[in-house]
Amino acid sequence: MFPPTDRKLNKPLATSSNTEKLQRIKTMKITGYRLENYIQKLDRAIGDSNYPAGDDLMNLSVLWIDTDEGISGIAPAGNGAVASLFHIIEGQDPRGVVGLWKNMVDWVHKGNNEGEVNGAIAAIDIALWDLKAKIADEPLWRTLGAREGRAKAYASDIGYNLSDDELHAFYTRMADVGVDGGKIKVGLNMKDDLRRIGIMNDAFRKVKDRPYLMIDSNEYWSPKQAIRYINQIEEHFDIFWAEEPARRWDYDGLRQVSRGVSAAVASGENLNDIGQMYPLISQQAIDVANVGSGHSGITGARQVSNMCYAYEIPVTLMNCPANFMAPLAASLPNHNMMEVVDPGREGAFDSWDNHIEDGWIVMGNEPGLGIKVNEDKIKAMQAVDHGRAPGSPFPRREGAALWIKDIEPGEVSWK
Amino acid sequence: MKITGYAISLYEFPLNRRMGDANSPSGRIRGSSNVLELFTDEGLTGVSFGGGGAGPQIKSMVEGMLMGEDPRHVTGLWKRMVDRAFKAGHDGVINDAIAVLDVALWDLKAKANDEPLWKTLGGSNPKVHAYASGLDQPLSDDGIEDWYGMMADDWGFKGGKLKVGLDQDADLRRIGRMKKGLERATDTPLLYIDANEVWNPKMAVRKVREMEEQFDIAWVEEPARRWDFLGLRRISDQIKAPVCAGENLDSLGDFLPYFHNRSADVVQVSHGMTGITCALQLADAAYGFELPITLGGSPGNLNAQLAPSIPNFLTLEAQNATPDDGVMTSDIKIVDGWAVCGDQPGTGVSFDPEALAKQQVVTVTASAGPSPFGRRPGAGLWDNPPTKEEAAAAASGVDGEHYVPAHGSKTQ
Repeated sequence: MFPPTDRKLNKPLATSSNTEKLQRIKTMKITGYRLENYIQKLDRAIGDSNYPAGDDLMNLSVLWIDTDEGISGIAPAGNGAVASLFHIIEGQDPRGVVGLWKNMVDWVHKGNNEGEVNGAIAAIDIALWDLKAKIADEPLWRTLGAREGRAKAYASDIGYNLSDDELHAFYTRMADVGVDGGKIKVGLNMKDDLRRIGIMNDAFRKVKDRPYLMIDSNEYWSPKQAIRYINQIEEHFDIFWAEEPARRWDYDGLRQVSRGVSAAVASGENLNDIGQMYPLISQQAIDVANVGSGHSGITGARQVSNMCYAYEIPVTLMNCPANFMAPLAASLPNHNMMEVVDPGREGAFDSWDNHIEDGWIVMGNEPGLGIKVNEDKIKAMQAVDHGRAPGSPFPRREGAALWIKDIEPGEVSWK
Repeated sequence: MKITGYAISLYEFPLNRRMGDANSPSGRIRGSSNVLELFTDEGLTGVSFGGGGAGPQIKSMVEGMLMGEDPRHVTGLWKRMVDRAFKAGHDGVINDAIAVLDVALWDLKAKANDEPLWKTLGGSNPKVHAYASGLDQPLSDDGIEDWYGMMADDWGFKGGKLKVGLDQDADLRRIGRMKKGLERATDTPLLYIDANEVWNPKMAVRKVREMEEQFDIAWVEEPARRWDFLGLRRISDQIKAPVCAGENLDSLGDFLPYFHNRSADVVQVSHGMTGITCALQLADAAYGFELPITLGGSPGNLNAQLAPSIPNFLTLEAQNATPDDGVMTSDIKIVDGWAVCGDQPGTGVSFDPEALAKQQVVTVTASAGPSPFGRRPGAGLWDNPPTKEEAAAAASGVDGEHYVPAHGSKTQ
């Protein structure tokens, strides 16, 4: 095609209707927000080595960010600290989400981007990304530049309370939609853990001869306990990664575990931003990075993922309601597989635009995150009196990193 | 939206001043570039500049992979292009091809939203810190003060970057003249210097420390070889100024040793690196290491579009305040020393089709083509100041001759 003969000059996108719309939203502004907190009754109790009994009540929130064009962005997240940050984004163009993220992070400089403020920044950021994609009338995975709206999935029980049969049913349900690996909560009893890993392995064998087997001890061990425990498991099973085998900040210990076992060491989910991930990455303490909206939203999670990309560290995205982070996973060059727990956290939604097919989270073309919130359903959940507060987040279990406190009779449904 | 075809158009132009660095003190007076157009079935065209020597690689990428793809999927397409170049690695001309295509895809993505690229990338403030960069080795002492004075007077630049490395006494003098020129806009100009890998680490330490007795240097660029992460680190440990490096690296992975060894205090991303996608990845990685990012010279200062979405962005290199090649147009304006991105959809950097037709060439003449100078003899070994012939060529200005010294003589 040299020299070009039919050069087309740049002109605005073809159709008159959306040209008009695009012109109109050129001056779009954020005008307000709403936050609803509610308690969701889950399909099953969620629990790990710190609290094996788990709990089937969960605190959840939905945040709306409204604009003068009547389009709202939503986040399946949020907390009271949104109120203290809203003035930073009020009146701003929501499409400037990355710049607004920086303004929020800079605003909280002294107290730092941690704790409740971190959660609020994440929620606002997610809602702004939802808005940005909705304004462009496209799914978020496309806004983020992904070629396809899909991300490989793995199944995760978060279910120390599940009986052998329930475990098998859960992983079988996932295997039936093509998922070829799973993660299981471990750490309290070797005999139980080996049996349960075996159940998980069996369930996935119909999809893959050697399923991906991941174990997660949620910071219950010391590094040397982890090395002893994981090595014993590895005599029986080929473990793809061992998650949080030491404290979240213990980069020396995590590295020590990585050098002492065959499995990859995964960690990072309890850290708040790229600055906290820095030592884990630069000291080669982790072989796989657990990344989620907890790393300061979609913007922050993408930063962490890109930093990991420089270090050739694969990224696995954390579980979340309606798999709302899957669009980010689809756009990352170094994402391996995303955690799917599916305990039924979607009671506030009429629909969400993804499903699992052949082991992948397949996203549709609904604009933004693709989640349709039903406020009546939220009101209905808010009206229910459960008579108690959800147990999550769980306290750290006695004996952690010191000795192993076995599961006591009656503590879980199966013992 | 689907990619339906492409066109590449080479063109040449005279430079508005002699440009060169420590490797080419006689400088050059002509330049060339390449317009890449990526056509779509929606009538939108993605435009980018560069990759003039990568025609066959661009053709292979477009015809073998991009045809029929949706340009809005740019980060996914970037991954596919990089993976396609896997075996030989994405460096050299294939890297140029990926870079120029990636920029055109981002241009299309922003145009599809009818918004400027800085907004597509999530920026909230289009005002970008910038500095003037003369590529000024061939300029006389007076020429230095005049040019930086003009950039300060007319455009408000408060920082400048001087090419140094060949003659310490001249460099000391010329830093002072650049400072004087910039003082027309500010009492405290930012003084950057760039040695373009002409020193070894200890040469750099000696020379920079001496400069720092007289001047507060804002950074020293490429004071050692691009891959010498230990040498760069050593220099940083021994001088006050930050070490700036990276412009000759090709990919994210190339920067790993810098990060790991804290070799560069300022991470420099050049336009020729693996596109906007890679520049954003690199910026995030640098952010994790608390290292600032500076974006190198770019067509029409296009790189300004990236800066608003980079939280650790430091400053933008502007080699000219406005496009000077007669063909290129830019929506990025220099206002009071800042680069300000406009509202034009896409990168805001495009071309005048009539001017392109006039200046278009089938093959680029040698004097306007890729640098014929190579690395300067003596680089990293001994001092090799400009020869009489080089100095004379430099002094002849833009009306003089294109002079390339023969390699292999005693000093040259």
